[in-house]
Amino acid sequence: MDPYFRGDVFIGVSDLEGVAIEQAYLTATSLPWGIEARLGRFLAPIGKQNTTHRHDLHTVEYPWVLQRFLGPEGLRGTGLYLSKVLAPFGFYQELQLTATDRLGEDDESLVTSEPINTRLGALGYSARLRNYLDLTKHANIEISGSIATGKRAQPASGLGGEATAVGVRQTLAGIDVTYRWRPLQQGLYRSLIVQAEWLRQINGRFRAPNGVEYEGPTRDFSGGYLFARYQTSRRTYWGARIDRVADPAAGGDPLTAVSGYYQFYPSEFSKLVAGYERVSGAGSAAYGRVIFQATFALGPHRPHPF
Amino acid sequence: MRAAGFLLLATLAAATDATGQLRVVTSTTDLADLARQVGGDRIRLRHISEGYQDPHFVEAKPSFVLEMAKADVWAFIGLDLEIGWMSLLLNGARNPKIRPGGSGYLDVSKFIPVIDVPSGAIDRSQGDVHPLGNPHYWLDPANGRRIAAAFAAKFTELDPGGAADYARNLAAFEAALARAAEEWAPALASLSGKPIVAWHTSWRYFAGYTRVNIVGFMEPKPGVPPSPSHLAGLVATMKRTGAKVIVMEPYYDRKTADLIASKAGASVLVLPPSVGGEKGLDDYISVLRRNITSLARAVE
Ligand SMILES: [Zn+2]
Repeated sequence: MDPYFRGDVFIGVSDLEGVAIEQAYLTATSLPWGIEARLGRFLAPIGKQNTTHRHDLHTVEYPWVLQRFLGPEGLRGTGLYLSKVLAPFGFYQELQLTATDRLGEDDESLVTSEPINTRLGALGYSARLRNYLDLTKHANIEISGSIATGKRAQPASGLGGEATAVGVRQTLAGIDVTYRWRPLQQGLYRSLIVQAEWLRQINGRFRAPNGVEYEGPTRDFSGGYLFARYQTSRRTYWGARIDRVADPAAGGDPLTAVSGYYQFYPSEFSKLVAGYERVSGAGSAAYGRVIFQATFALGPHRPHPF
Repeated sequence: MRAAGFLLLATLAAATDATGQLRVVTSTTDLADLARQVGGDRIRLRHISEGYQDPHFVEAKPSFVLEMAKADVWAFIGLDLEIGWMSLLLNGARNPKIRPGGSGYLDVSKFIPVIDVPSGAIDRSQGDVHPLGNPHYWLDPANGRRIAAAFAAKFTELDPGGAADYARNLAAFEAALARAAEEWAPALASLSGKPIVAWHTSWRYFAGYTRVNIVGFMEPKPGVPPSPSHLAGLVATMKRTGAKVIVMEPYYDRKTADLIASKAGASVLVLPPSVGGEKGLDDYISVLRRNITSLARAVE
């Protein structure tokens, strides 16, 4: 590229989508006032883990609250992303704003009589404010808040024609906290991350005209998780996560999950994870599952996301 | 007209900070001290990694972004030592001056005769780190001189008004280094040819200068932690060659080194690889002196 633009393309392989372009965007790096702009398709900066690539997760799967509220592949959009780093109080703050063609992706079986995003106000918008603070040389904390809003297709019957859905506003609001400890001198062998995220899905109340039956959500849902990971040796880490979410797919029945992970890094370029998760609630029988994951990085050494 | 005036003001403000100092950010403490020797009070310094921390594994903390956003010079070791974090900070800093091609982007390795450059195709069989050659070049005083000269040239380019200061400071540093070298010459003589073991290949340039003979490494390959089979072979090598000292940085696991030392009838010597690697070691020449004299005492 050139000094003014940078191109990034992330291609992912998954059961759901096969080989697909996860993200593809052009970043303008030389705008005035330290503003960074991206144009393209990107993961929405909502909460901490939505923008984390799956292979960089400390667990195998995304937290349940993200899977249930943002979709199994995360919340993505096509449009404009702006970010500005601020430090009026001496610590790092970053404001991230996005405007995308819509809020997430709707189920393909849902057909609205006209596109839900024809008006400017119905596009997807998001804002996130990151606040990062070094507590000591060895410990730091990030506390961030996010909000996103847009119209989503929700099922309804009796609409006439081919239509099976109506556009209803949905707003997501959340807060996330990440604490990291890594003693600089022993940093090869010891570290700790504690992370918590809470998200609320606020659903617009659709007033159905006569003859139309609205089948979308008629209440709001909340959920969150608490995750911790401790490093016990150069190549080994132990992690655990507790999830709880009012599951929109089960009418708000709470889903509870408890999971534990053992991570082993055979080298700088590979990662093996073994985990066990117990899931209960959300209108189905409790079950446990054993999870294995192997990750191999190809190509040159990549930077480690912080 | 008002817009043009404002733009001009913004450009002027960007060139230097309120005190007129060049803002210099370096990746390591050694680069920071050498920059200080040359730049004196004409520069304002920050560094990213600490001297007691493994420079290969530094976290890209957002607080570093704030330093780099304001920098006029970004000086780094290069050879992929900073591969794990540098691009994240450079992207986050949004500072065209210190991006590749920018006036303040200073890859110091470009001034160094690099050793251990892999021949043929680079692949992972050669280890986890050092794909472009050995980046631990600062522990050879000849390279310390080259780094200082590179800073003098860069600072003079960006701040021509300070040319005389930078030249004078560089000459003073070179004279101090020459005096120190005379002082440690006897220790140096006693190191020549002595067999030792090192944890990482970080002591290769130092060995080139001191002519100490590194007969083996705790790591089977750079960046790969010691394995039992490798260590068994290492103990045999130590017995065969008579190596009595294992040199390691303060950030490695001392227990493993102690175990091998006890099996081979040797001792472990923790040496500071960088400025600040030990309390009170606040400048480049002190680090060299400490390493040379301590090792000379240990191999006696
Ligand atoms: Zn190294």
